[in-house]
Amino acid sequence: MSSLTLTPTNALASALNSSRSSVAIAVLDGLSIAHVAARKGQSAALAARVKELFGVTLSQTPRIATGSNVSFVWAGPDQWLAMARADTNPDFERDLRGKLEGLASVADQTDARALATVRGPNARHVLAKGVPIDLHPKAFPAGSAAITHASHIGVLMWLSEADDTFTLACPRSYASSFWNWLTESAVEFSPAVGE
Amino acid sequence: MRISCPYCGERSLDEYLYIGDATVTRPDPAGANAQADFYKYAYERTNPAGAHKELWYHSAGCHAWLVVERDTRTHEISSVETAKDVALKRNVAKGGA
Ligand SMILES: [Zn+2]
Repeated sequence: MSSLTLTPTNALASALNSSRSSVAIAVLDGLSIAHVAARKGQSAALAARVKELFGVTLSQTPRIATGSNVSFVWAGPDQWLAMARADTNPDFERDLRGKLEGLASVADQTDARALATVRGPNARHVLAKGVPIDLHPKAFPAGSAAITHASHIGVLMWLSEADDTFTLACPRSYASSFWNWLTESAVEFSPAVGE
Repeated sequence: MRISCPYCGERSLDEYLYIGDATVTRPDPAGANAQADFYKYAYERTNPAGAHKELWYHSAGCHAWLVVERDTRTHEISSVETAKDVALKRNVAKGGA
């Protein structure tokens, strides 16, 4: 009388499971990046100005806030990394510096950082090989950011609010060491590596 | 040993640098007893077995300076404050801005 239906499973089914190879690593390029540090006592005024200009609420905790044209990721107390597409914002840093005059110090970081994205069901397993913080969704939910290290290389990293993609930014001079670590750590998952 | 950074959350020791005793303050180099005061500041340090306030720097994290109260016998941490807040409180206590 049981309604249970048993279906045969091939003993090698797990070998065919595509999720075993589901991690994608890519270079993230084409961004204009600027470091924004609130001037003394101007934190609230800066937040109000950024809200007015970009419709984004600057996070006072390690998180990313994404607007339609610009993202601000927390980069330390009263500091953020602002990012926008380089093709449509070629003078991003200069524009931002003008708009935030008196409220924040703005410094160009476009050529100072190398960025890579990691996504897919095994992204956390790859990152766990070198990143010492807990990346479980309960501890590091969508939109979280952290300054920490990856294989001893300082990184600012965040998890997108929308699509479960990790982005890691490291100093330019460490880019090839960082990339070697990332791609080697992913080998067991047969990563898709893109530009 | 793990330290809870007020900004970043709990992180392992390898993200921090130990800077030193947080209970001493640098004397005024223009003060009348500057030489004696600096001698005390540099050399006459206590070495407590128990609770001690120390400066730690979150070097691989947010770069904040922290005042950490640690039991030197057990490494148990009873409080963490930003050095900025500690300095502001000290200035207020002195009647400064
Ligand atoms: Zn920190």
